[in-house]
Amino acid sequence: MQNRWVSFCLLMAFLFTSACGQGEVQPVSFMVFGEPAELKAYQDLVAAFEKQHPEIKVELIHIPSQGDYRKRLAADLVGGEPADVVLINYRRFSGLAIKNAFEPLGPYLEKSDLIAYDDFYALSMRAFSLNDQVICIPQNISSLVAFYNKDVFDAAGIPYPDAGWTWDDFISASKALTLDFDSDGRIDQYGAGVEPTLIRVAPFVWQNGGKVSINNALTLADPLDLEAVQWFVDWQVTHHIVPNAVEEKAESSESRFINGRTAIYFNSRRLVPTFREITAFDWDIAPLPVGRSDATILHSDAYCLPSAGKHKQAAWTFIEYANSMAGQTLVSQSGRTVPSLIQVAESDAFLDPNAKPAHSRVFLDVIPFTLRLPQQANWADIEEICDEELQRAFFGEVSALEAMQSAVKRALPLFTENE
Amino acid sequence: MNRTYTASSRTQLLLMLTPYLLGAAVLVGLPALLSLLLAFLRYDGISAPVWVGGFNFQLVLANPVDLLFPISLYNTLYFVILAVPVRVLSALALALLLSRSGRGVGLYRAAVYLPTIIPDVAYALIWMWIFNPLYGPLNLILDGLGLPTPGWLADAQYAKVVFVVMAAFQIGEGFVVLLAGLQNIPPEYYAAAAVDGGNVWQQFRYITLPLLAPWLLLLTLRDIILSSQNIFTANFIMTNGDPYYSTLFLPLLIYEEAFDRMHFGPGSAMTVLLGLVTAALIGLILSIVGSWGETDAS
Repeated sequence: MQNRWVSFCLLMAFLFTSACGQGEVQPVSFMVFGEPAELKAYQDLVAAFEKQHPEIKVELIHIPSQGDYRKRLAADLVGGEPADVVLINYRRFSGLAIKNAFEPLGPYLEKSDLIAYDDFYALSMRAFSLNDQVICIPQNISSLVAFYNKDVFDAAGIPYPDAGWTWDDFISASKALTLDFDSDGRIDQYGAGVEPTLIRVAPFVWQNGGKVSINNALTLADPLDLEAVQWFVDWQVTHHIVPNAVEEKAESSESRFINGRTAIYFNSRRLVPTFREITAFDWDIAPLPVGRSDATILHSDAYCLPSAGKHKQAAWTFIEYANSMAGQTLVSQSGRTVPSLIQVAESDAFLDPNAKPAHSRVFLDVIPFTLRLPQQANWADIEEICDEELQRAFFGEVSALEAMQSAVKRALPLFTENE
Repeated sequence: MNRTYTASSRTQLLLMLTPYLLGAAVLVGLPALLSLLLAFLRYDGISAPVWVGGFNFQLVLANPVDLLFPISLYNTLYFVILAVPVRVLSALALALLLSRSGRGVGLYRAAVYLPTIIPDVAYALIWMWIFNPLYGPLNLILDGLGLPTPGWLADAQYAKVVFVVMAAFQIGEGFVVLLAGLQNIPPEYYAAAAVDGGNVWQQFRYITLPLLAPWLLLLTLRDIILSSQNIFTANFIMTNGDPYYSTLFLPLLIYEEAFDRMHFGPGSAMTVLLGLVTAALIGLILSIVGSWGETDAS
């Protein structure tokens, strides 16, 4: 009987101590968006982090679409239970940062032995700062580029797009690459593909000397802005080098590019992991065609620490690691990011000559003339209005002037009011 | 049939109802009350809420620049006014057709019910494929017959109609209710009518319809409530309001306003207004119908 008691006490002691041991492992939830191919990069990052920090257990929450992600984050913030680390785009960042939804990471960064402000591209750091205070730490510094299918260029005997190609070069190449192979009256291969949204047209507006937005108003109906918008709209309305509304609804331009039926597709670095799975043809990237001057648009995401987070120190440890040489190298190798850490961006982890795209350096070459959209609390809503109006013009329902005048008028109250 | 409840059976009923009453109070009643309160606050989910009185309603109803609420209210009413009669009449027609037992009837009844149990997301994806303007089977058939092939979801003129067509196939519950209603009508009524020389139409007009009327009224009212709210998933997945707000239905706008723009005040105000419009529609129907129909209770 005594032996049984001793065994029982030992068992209880064992269970108690193991429970205490488990209690020391700190949980950190980490919420990200991205296509399934991007998820792998974050899984690898979490695995490497946990190996180095066994005291922290990271729960990865993956929401595929950015639109859904934003709503999930809002719901989590309202519920007072946001993930400990969240990934956020700089165009969505301001609205939340202004409301103090994120803990400023500047003070954490100053104390860090692993990373420092100057290790990062200043452009991306500024995109995630508010009133000169660093709020989130940028994970990447991507921009809009032209992905192109090398095989269709070869088949048509047209030289590949390269730095310095012009708007006219783009239109003439796209016209030559828009083909109806079987002469059934339906286009089988489009010269270009693009989402008719503000973030796609904005770099062309800037290239033309337009501003997009200034002094708490959109300038899209001003002459220089409008000229660029009209040129962009003409891709569909006049030149028919991109799918019309029905064709785009039937199959998106992104899908057409993946299936080898679009020659040039405009997007940011985020599609690289998906495009690396393409085996049917060879592809590469080029800078945007140039108008009156060079310009492209910043696409950047950052790791943020919600103010309502419960495990801030452990969450910072994860953010610090994710943005260290080791962390950014891992994610960069997946193809997902253009690293915001200068040293990683200039390394083979990003510029690997054996990994597609062959000209990854394009993303670094364009940084000096990469511009960003304004920091504005309601910017996401303003952008939504612009997208709806631009889409109407792009698919020929109204003129570019009419659409942009409507966008300017509808967006105006959003610049000044918060609700 | 009049039923009188004894004290003990009342207690039993109350006991059985308690879990559902509690559930309804905590999961529906309380959130609805909180939502009503939110309609009078400025609240973004992060900052502290501020009382703004009727400002949110003013903002939603009288915004001089953005008319998204009136547009989405029109879209929602368009859908409800078309979809509800189509759904109720289809359920009635199929219930009449399949009310008699016979070979294979069970299979047909199951086929009618089947679309109702398909998860909303899968149902939306199936219809997206059917209505794909270039590769969908519907346009391929229309094209094969030499008929025009609309852009469906890509065309503002047709996009709302797609949602009505989709809704017309999810009638399983109404169908089962009406089937039960039909079986509740004593066969002697039809036998007596046949003896008096009543034809099939007269039997339907003077026996079936009046006796089914309370069931039809119940289904119609239920369907108005359901249709004005239940369109969300398909709307969110298939069009997200496009093209140019032509399929922006109120539940989607409310969701976007609250959870995308974090404007919980105006979002709640819209929810209250949706409730009021639905109640007004129901009131209108009740005032038109009055005590229409008979019951077999005496």
